[in-house]
Amino acid sequence: MNILEGKITDINTHGSVSLVTLQIGPVSFNTIVIETPDTVSYLKKEHIVKVAFKETEVIIGKNHDHSISIQNKVVAKILDIEKGTLLSKLTLGTSVGKIIAIITTNAAQQLQLHIGEEVTTMIKTTEIMLSQ
Amino acid sequence: MIHITLQKELIAAHGTMLLDINIDIQRGSLVTLYGDSGAGKTSILRMISGLLAPDKGSITVNQKTWLDTEKRIHQKPQHRKVGYVFQDYGLFPNMTVKENLLYALEKGQSKNTVTELIDTIELGDLQDRKPEKLSGGQKQRVALARALVRTPEILMLDEPLSALDNTMRAKLQDYILKVHKQYNLTTILISHEISEVIKMSDQVFVIENGKIKKQGSPIEVFTTKQMSGKFQFSGEVVHIEKEDVIYIVTILIGTNFVKIVAEETEIGTIAIGDKVIVASKAFNPLLQKVH
Repeated sequence: MNILEGKITDINTHGSVSLVTLQIGPVSFNTIVIETPDTVSYLKKEHIVKVAFKETEVIIGKNHDHSISIQNKVVAKILDIEKGTLLSKLTLGTSVGKIIAIITTNAAQQLQLHIGEEVTTMIKTTEIMLSQ
Repeated sequence: MIHITLQKELIAAHGTMLLDINIDIQRGSLVTLYGDSGAGKTSILRMISGLLAPDKGSITVNQKTWLDTEKRIHQKPQHRKVGYVFQDYGLFPNMTVKENLLYALEKGQSKNTVTELIDTIELGDLQDRKPEKLSGGQKQRVALARALVRTPEILMLDEPLSALDNTMRAKLQDYILKVHKQYNLTTILISHEISEVIKMSDQVFVIENGKIKKQGSPIEVFTTKQMSGKFQFSGEVVHIEKEDVIYIVTILIGTNFVKIVAEETEIGTIAIGDKVIVASKAFNPLLQKVH
């Protein structure tokens, strides 16, 4: 599990669902959760929360300006690649902290990823969990 | 409402321990006392049933005073309407199932109570057998029925399921929940199993060294961090296997096994036998109607 720390800057609630905007370092992230400020105490503007997402949900892109539906993007430098038969683990250094990504070894080969290279790391809005 | 305030110095493994608790229980609810052995859980049940006298305290059950040390009120165990089920059944070996139940009747109480319980707890086929001819789960069902014969105001279950295998355990849990609801009982359960506590109880009291460390709904108490993942279960790690750059962790949740992919840092210090929370976003699971 990747865990970053972010500050809640905006909460847009509709029914029982909230779209939460977070400032993590210099980058803005969005997540959608089935909670509202009435159901959990941590969902308040200016609150510092933990932002968690699974390594297998991290997407790697090679160019910087993707027209893509994923809003959470951060530029990263590949610090390490651990290649397995089917899956590979990438350790990424970003302005929001260290992120680990698990992608297929095929994908890593197709993208010709190598240590030291700059890539874009992306996480879907629906894949990010918040906790106190 | 049941109010329980108890203080007693107990002999513990490392010298003496002061048990000091204050518990309010809503009528009709099922609450669990959760904690390590020697924390004082059984002593609490023994004091409620009157088998053990506290140094100080009071117990009021639906406006009736069972105990008030200041007013020197100390109702005898036989005058307290409690049903007690232990881990080791405590059935009379020389009596059949039905005789065990009939023996528990109060003077003048109708035998219909026993017939009804035999029906509810599905003991019909077993009623003429002696306890030695029964399995552990069956004996515990008889013990449960016997505890209900006098329609107790409080049903107390002291780790009644810990000697049973998982399937039998799940079945017994369902029987307990059934009678708890059907007879509108107020039930106090002692349990070590988080999954059992979550399935069974409205409220849990975590007891440590004779004190209440935490209380609340099981999910509030056992999820240490409030997480926004809505697909959340607690279970026990039964297997961890490394595959390539990931780990596959097998977790027993209730009677189901699930497999979770985890990364090395996520595994951390998690080992086989550990209790874990499995959480996912509500956005991921697929839902399909079963035909």
